[in-house]
Amino acid sequence: MRKLVLLAALALPLTAFAQDREPILLDIAQSHILPSYARLADTAQVLSETAKADCAPNSDALRAAYADAFDSWISVSHMRFGPSEVDDRAFSLAFWPDTKGFTPRALSRLIDDNDNAVQTAAEFAETSVAGRGFFALEQMLYDPAFADQGSAEYRCDLIRAIAADIAANATAIDTDWQTYAQSLTRTGENSRYRNDDEAMQEMFKALSTGLEFTADTRLGRPLGSFERPRPKRAEARRSARSLRHVELSLIALQDLALRLSADHPDVTEDFQAAFDRAIQRAQSLGDPNFAGVSTPEGRFRVEALQQTVSDIRRIANTQLGPALGIGAGFNSLDGD
Amino acid sequence: MTSRRRFLQGLAAASLGPMPGWSAVGAPDFLAAALFPDGSYRLAGLTASGAVVFTLPLPGRGHAAAAHPQYAQAVAFARRPGTFALVIDCTSGSEVARLSAPPGHHFYGHGTFSTDGRLLFTTENRFEQGDGMIGVWDVGNGYARLGSFSSGGIGPHDIVLMPDGASIAIANGGIETHPDTGRTKLNLPTMRPNLTYCDLNGSVIEQVELPHRLRKNSIRHLAVRDDGLVAFAMQWQGDLSEHPPLLGLHQRGGTPVLLAAGDSDQSTLQGYAGSVAFSSNNQTVAITCPRGNSLHGFDVESGSFKAAYALEDVCGLGAGPDGLVYTTGTGQVGRLSETRTERMALSECQWDNHLVPVQTGI
Repeated sequence: MRKLVLLAALALPLTAFAQDREPILLDIAQSHILPSYARLADTAQVLSETAKADCAPNSDALRAAYADAFDSWISVSHMRFGPSEVDDRAFSLAFWPDTKGFTPRALSRLIDDNDNAVQTAAEFAETSVAGRGFFALEQMLYDPAFADQGSAEYRCDLIRAIAADIAANATAIDTDWQTYAQSLTRTGENSRYRNDDEAMQEMFKALSTGLEFTADTRLGRPLGSFERPRPKRAEARRSARSLRHVELSLIALQDLALRLSADHPDVTEDFQAAFDRAIQRAQSLGDPNFAGVSTPEGRFRVEALQQTVSDIRRIANTQLGPALGIGAGFNSLDGD
Repeated sequence: MTSRRRFLQGLAAASLGPMPGWSAVGAPDFLAAALFPDGSYRLAGLTASGAVVFTLPLPGRGHAAAAHPQYAQAVAFARRPGTFALVIDCTSGSEVARLSAPPGHHFYGHGTFSTDGRLLFTTENRFEQGDGMIGVWDVGNGYARLGSFSSGGIGPHDIVLMPDGASIAIANGGIETHPDTGRTKLNLPTMRPNLTYCDLNGSVIEQVELPHRLRKNSIRHLAVRDDGLVAFAMQWQGDLSEHPPLLGLHQRGGTPVLLAAGDSDQSTLQGYAGSVAFSSNNQTVAITCPRGNSLHGFDVESGSFKAAYALEDVCGLGAGPDGLVYTTGTGQVGRLSETRTERMALSECQWDNHLVPVQTGI
């Protein structure tokens, strides 16, 4: 098979090796990124309006709107460049991991001080990123520690302020993407990307860092070490969304991987199978917040899921990267 | 401390006897790690003209090394988050000692000796707390651990001894990691790198932070000139649509000066500098940028950009007899004179990360 490809390649003029990236870049922008950020903006808007109507932490409507908007964020959170990075918007949407407990501290400070910033969107946007976004809202909705801190009225204002801030950031990213998307396909000296290769590299990086984050952080943090599992470090464990985030991120990354490998059917095929395996394993794991990592059997199952994600990473690095002509040197890969 | 050290000096003299110096192993100017075609990682002694005077096996891919100022001894660090470092007798390749990071710590891959060679300082992560630490090791006592002190920040990476011999400069990269999550950066939204100067007991003398808008510029690698001017190389953790400076100069008590090329050159670096060094005549300071396949040289006096040199996967950098010496991941050892780069040797190996200077003159 390989020999055949090589022979076919030899018959072509050298210029044929330069890959036409544009159709793939256009496809990823139009069908992967833009709809995902639009969905985030829409669901975040619904979240903010729902919070205005009903700010009770245990409100079914509010929790459902929260879940929808958070789902939308997780499904696009691997696209971390350009509009999401302006003014730390992405960090304001999702401050996690929180290794030093900044989020509960930031929330407590706002509540204890009766901080008026919650009354004005612009002022609230200036407060610590740790006290904003989905993870701050999760603690307000699900953590008993915040069920009776301060006055009910202030807590309500704070929940509404966080929801409105999420909506504002989601809308800002979505709006900016309308123009930024063009920079992916109109590359050149004065553009964000000097050529299509650079734009493609950004897409490849989104896939590889997205996979790395799910394997090493979403799964690695609760796994901890065998001697010391860390179930309380699971992402969004209070709302029991930890496993769901792994599943949603894999589904989104699969969509990206298949589009990226569109010109290389053998790689697409391998991705399809490996992602299917990982997603299926996630869907059958039945441990929503990874509490099971404390038991040997539960740990084994989460490790097995992590292994399937590592398998996908290997395909990305050893098959997709070379197929796309995205190589990196010994030192440039080291990152130290 | 003094009396203890004097005692230890006596002990070292008594038990170790005269130790061979660097001239016994071909007088290398640098230590560098490399991956060889057979898949082995080795530590090499390199001269400034590109000759490999020795190679010794390493158990795995290393990061930087530290060269003892008198003895032909090298401390080779595992890549972070490694928990051990080997002290190698470069005359024989034998292991003189093995440094194990204490429980709850791991090494970041850099270290430096005191002028008299009695103390070794290592950058470490106390990872449950996410605090940067400096480990202190007693060379004369078989590299026993003496203790540790705060690095003055999070994620200390490179560390250099200042020319006064009484203080050290530490590049606190600002990035928190935990071995459970590999190299995942855990605190990007709150990171605050700094350059910390402290005395050899860990008392902070001075700390330098960059302006808020540059707080995602991780201060990673250091070089120091004879007059105490420190050059620091950075790695940008913000969005790559920005092309901030990746090199800074700082003199104690002063304000840091940031150096960058014009945007058309700066934008090719992918926000990443790997090594930094001053030239032998002290007039040029340079950074290597393996992701941009480029070496950037600057005039120290004016801070102005001199030139960019295209070099595939360039990373190791040090002062040579005439300008600067660099190594690449493609096996090149080359030199940069005032105006041009010139390949001096091409090895079969892939040179890793850094050129660590060996002080052969002592």
